Order: sequence, then structure tokens, then C-alpha cells
Amino acid sequence: MNENPLADTGMPRGYDLLIRHLKDRAIKLGEWALAMMHDGWRAYDVGDLKAAQGVLDRAPQLDRMDEDMEHASIAFLVLRQPTAIDLRTAAALLKITTHLDRIGRLGFDMARITTSGTNGQKELSDLHALLQQMDEVVEAMVRQSLDALGGDHVELARELFHRDDAVDQMHREANRMIVENLGEHPDMAPRLASDLLVARHFERIADNACKVGEKTIYALTGQRRSEYLPRHAYRPYALETAGPPPSKTRK
Amino acid sequence: MEGLNTMLGESPVKMDVQSLNAFYGESRAIQDINLAIPEKQVTAIIGPSGCGKSTLIRCLNRLHETGFKARVEGSVFLDGEDLYQIDATLVRRRVGMVFQKPNPFATMSIYNNVSAPLRFNGHPSRQECDDAVLRALKQAALWDEVKDRVDDPATSLSGGQQQRLCIARALAANPEVLLMDEPCSALDPIATAKIEELIGQLKQEYTVVIVTHNMQQAARVSDRTAFLYLGKLIEYGPTEDLFERPKEHLTESYITGRFG
Repeated sequence: MNENPLADTGMPRGYDLLIRHLKDRAIKLGEWALAMMHDGWRAYDVGDLKAAQGVLDRAPQLDRMDEDMEHASIAFLVLRQPTAIDLRTAAALLKITTHLDRIGRLGFDMARITTSGTNGQKELSDLHALLQQMDEVVEAMVRQSLDALGGDHVELARELFHRDDAVDQMHREANRMIVENLGEHPDMAPRLASDLLVARHFERIADNACKVGEKTIYALTGQRRSEYLPRHAYRPYALETAGPPPSKTRK
Repeated sequence: MEGLNTMLGESPVKMDVQSLNAFYGESRAIQDINLAIPEKQVTAIIGPSGCGKSTLIRCLNRLHETGFKARVEGSVFLDGEDLYQIDATLVRRRVGMVFQKPNPFATMSIYNNVSAPLRFNGHPSRQECDDAVLRALKQAALWDEVKDRVDDPATSLSGGQQQRLCIARALAANPEVLLMDEPCSALDPIATAKIEELIGQLKQEYTVVIVTHNMQQAARVSDRTAFLYLGKLIEYGPTEDLFERPKEHLTESYITGRFG
């Protein structure tokens, strides 16, 4: 259901078209970033250097789209002086653009790891399966964040936070497996180090997808994250890695 | 009637409007308005044409009742004192007003325009007049522009300067509250910017209530904003909240220009 409170006013305006246009551009940027992430992981997964180079070559276009989007959002703020939902949307899009750009950048980084020469080395099948699982969940989260943004879906955006919990859990599990095997299999250290980075990138991508959802909720409802999602206390990294997940009380 | 509001958040309440209704004959222009106006802050009143903004502000210094078949029900308290229970002339001395179009006394000099309120209210000495004129012109950010020609006709000033002269004239009476009814609507952007900057300075000493059609102006100059529609107070709160995330759908529709 479209949850834009002004969607049914029956008053099409130049404003609405401009906002739609801004959102469409943000979604195109998001799709570009998602493709970089998808292909970056595929390249890493199978050790395809050519595919990795293809991802690296897409970075300049990502930069251009990010810059164009920023310019368009600022122009909208300056020239139209929006208020209320229009203001929130323009402000949210400025931040969403940054998060989408980061998703593309993390895909770029995965492609770069592919070129580091650790592919083809011995790897852990369980860890590999876990990273594949992370890829599936995280890609779906990025798609969901774009759907929430494009379709004005608050609930779809909210669901992202629950999926992020699953990604965090998988990230902790990946870290645990890597730390355990680093001691047992020092010969696998280079590959495990790369896997550690990839797992971390997936976790960061999921966080950025959540941020897109968070800003979508803000644009549509005016609610800020702290009003519906209490922050959990951060724990030392070692405990995050080894211990049970921190409890997150979420509405 | 409810108890008097003495505080609004952390700010003392200067004016407390309670159950206010204003009529033109049988027609009720504003309906049952309750509004606590904080001291030494700028309160903006916005809303579409005919919503009762100017009527409301004119009730705050008892100007409304001077109109043909106009009457008021309810109360307006100034520091806890009901303005409708005291002499109207005293009220207008304590609550000054600046209008949409600059209205200097055309036959008077700049000096005489500013000193007029003092002379209307008594027999001040020349020194008292000089002091008051100097203070008011400085407060209205006009002194530097007119200090060498205070005896020139007020009509020799530009539109923006005339409006600041009217502000100086209102300030010369040493009011506690300054009401401004669309003070920039007849001014160009540069003169408007000067008045807006002046409003920011005036709130250090005065409580300011401004009616404006320009929502960006309300956002720029005010601390709190009240949105009126069809004579009713729809929403009132900190300006930042009202323009960023209004609580009422009607407010959202109006400020985003989606009014049908």
C-alpha cells in the first residue's frame, strides 16, 4: 500500500513530478549500485578477474550518478524551497544517495579483493556457503529498500531492520568460523582474510540498505529512527564476535 | 475558560489568548482560539487569505473592535492582565502594531513621525523626544541612514525605510509586544531582508507576533508558528516542527501547496 499521506489529494503538481523524477534517479543509482554489488560478489565467488575488472570500470559512472543526484536534490531544495513531506523527501534523498553510493563502493571493494590473488586458494566450504547465504539475504534487502523508496512503503522499509538482525547473526558466525580456522589452518590465512573482508562488506551493505529504509520512513512519516527503534548498547568487538547476539528491543 | 498559561516550554508566556471569537456582524471570523504567545520570541501566524490571521492579530491590541459591527468574545491576557478589562488606549500603548503598507504621517518629518506617539500621550521635553527618537531609530536599524536628515519629510524615504520608520514609531512608545501584519508584503527582497534581520534583533527586547503570507518568511523569522484555517487554529508549535513534520494533515496540505 502506498503510504504517502498526500498521494490521494488528487492535485498533480509540478512539485510531484519533480519529486517523482528525483526518486526515479535515486532508484536508478540504487540499481547501478546493486548490480556492482551483485557482480562484485560473483567475481569474487568464482575468481573471475575479467568480471572483477568490469565492476571496477563502473565506478566512475557511480560517482557521476551520485554527484548528479546530489546536485538535483540541492537544486530542488534551493529553487522550490519545499516544506513538510517535500522537504523531508528531498533531505532524505540526499542521504539515501550517499548510502546507495556506498553500496556500490562496497561491491567495488569486493571486486578489488578478487584481484588480490587469494582466489583459487583452499577455502572452507561451510564459510563459502555462509557467504553465499549472506549475499542472497543482503541483495534482497537492497532490492527491498529500493522498492520501499519507489513505492512509498513504510512497512516494507521497517521489515529491513529485522532482516538486518539475520545478517548481523551471519556476520558474527562468519567471524567465528574465520577466527577458529585461522589458528587451525594457517595455510588458509590469505583466503580467510579475504573472506573476513567480504563478510564485513555484506554486513555494511545490509546496514546501508537499512539506512535507505530509515530515510524512507522519515520522508513519509517524519519519524526519526530513535522514535521507533531504540539503539542497542554497542559491545566490544571481541564480544560481538564470540558471544551471543546483543539483545535489541525493537518495536 | 481554562487556567492561565504562564509557561510555554521553557519560555514565560507574554500573551495568553483564551477562547477568543471575533465577529463582523453575525459572521464569526475567528473561532474559539486558544494561543499562548511566549515572551521575547517571534510568533508567526500563517494561513490562506480570509482565514482570520489579520483579525486575530487585531484582537491582540483591541483594534478589531473599532471596525464596523465588529465585536470580540473571550480574553487576551498580557502578563496575566485581561486586555479587554482595561482602557483600549493603554492596551495599544503596550501592544504596538506595524501594518502591511508603510503608513508614515505624510505631512510630518522623520523626527516628528517617530516622536509622535510620545507627543500624543503627553508633553515630553525636547530632550525626552530626542532620546526616544534616537533609541527608536537605532532599534529599527534606520539611524545610520537618516541621522543627517531627520527633519526631511518621511515621504522622502524609500518604501523599506518608511516601513522601518513605522517600526521605529511603534517602538518609540516603548511597547511590550510588537504586532506586525504582513510587514514586508509591499517591499522588495532587499528591504524585506532588512526587516527580517531587524525582527531577529527586536526579539531580544520585545515579544513579536507577525502575520505573513510568505511561509518561507515565517520559517526564517519565527520561533513558533500558528496555522489558521477558516478561523480555526489548526496547529501551533515550534516553527521547525511545523514546517518539517506537521502533525495535522490540513497543515501539511497547506504548507506543501496541495490545498484544493
